[in-house]
Amino acid sequence: MTDDPRPRRRLFDSGFYFVLAIALASGTGVLVTHGWDTFREILLSDLGLAALLMPKIAAGVLLATALALVLPKDKVLHHVGPESGIRGLAIAATAGAVIPGGPAVTFPLTAGLMTAGADLAAGVAMVTGWILLGLNRTIVWELTFLPADLVLLRVLLSLPVPIVLGLALRAAVRHRARRRAS
Amino acid sequence: MNILIGTILIWGAAFWAVRHLHRTAPEARPELYRRAGETFLFMLPRLAVGLIGAGFLAALLPEAFVQRWLSAQSGLSGILLATGFGVLTPGGPFVAFAIGASALKAGAGAGALVAYVTSWSLVSMVRTLSYEVPLMGRRFTLLRVLISLPAPILLGLFASLAQ
Repeated sequence: MTDDPRPRRRLFDSGFYFVLAIALASGTGVLVTHGWDTFREILLSDLGLAALLMPKIAAGVLLATALALVLPKDKVLHHVGPESGIRGLAIAATAGAVIPGGPAVTFPLTAGLMTAGADLAAGVAMVTGWILLGLNRTIVWELTFLPADLVLLRVLLSLPVPIVLGLALRAAVRHRARRRAS
Repeated sequence: MNILIGTILIWGAAFWAVRHLHRTAPEARPELYRRAGETFLFMLPRLAVGLIGAGFLAALLPEAFVQRWLSAQSGLSGILLATGFGVLTPGGPFVAFAIGASALKAGAGAGALVAYVTSWSLVSMVRTLSYEVPLMGRRFTLLRVLISLPAPILLGLFASLAQ
């Protein structure tokens, strides 16, 4: 049994107030420019969407929490830990690109992997692999709307991005650690 | 329908993981439910407020406006503008592709289009606010967004050279 490594969190912190401020500002904007009817329509439809998503989110959270407890820590550390090199970042990016599912799946999975030993860079590589190279979205949606040669160009240009971002993050972390040590 | 299928799939995976934990480490189960419950309660208000804010933002940015500007500008200024619009364009799995396709027909270049789609994918404000901040925390989100920001501009420049 491992200790819970997550920082203690308050239910209402600055992150929540930030999201709330955006909602209030944009809500006021809609109220002023579009009027009360549109405001109410958007509010109700998004509350409905949130309610509809709740069972999915609950499952995602349960899955991520269970994964963090089930996955063998030494193996996760070896494959996608801080010392896993470019290979680890490539594994994480590929996992992100291949695993089907939207934000309700990929974010909890990434959080679960990070609790089990993946480093920040591998987490970012996984999320980036999913949003830039997610096979599901590219095949189902992008190719329906955009010409194939442009899609191919975008995908080819995007291929190195998850790994480059991961490497940059690791370099930044090392740099900070060195500066702290000296 | 998509939401239903996704929900069933994730519940299946979650049940599998919980059963596995039950077999290998039954003593960890109370801890599992405590942690999962805490995380869920933490996310609930954030997600609801985030989705509502995303809906309002979407209504404030008319698609025709984005499409017109994307096709009107070219070169580096077009790529920078496309990156900015990508940040503002609301989520959904295909909104930016649809806007991008109509901008392309109206004369937008490959550089602006690649910058727009890449920026929307990487740093779309709506997905970031409604999902990433609640699920991954502010530090992860902030670091990821900051380090990702140059990517749409660079990819847009490469794409306009390749064209």
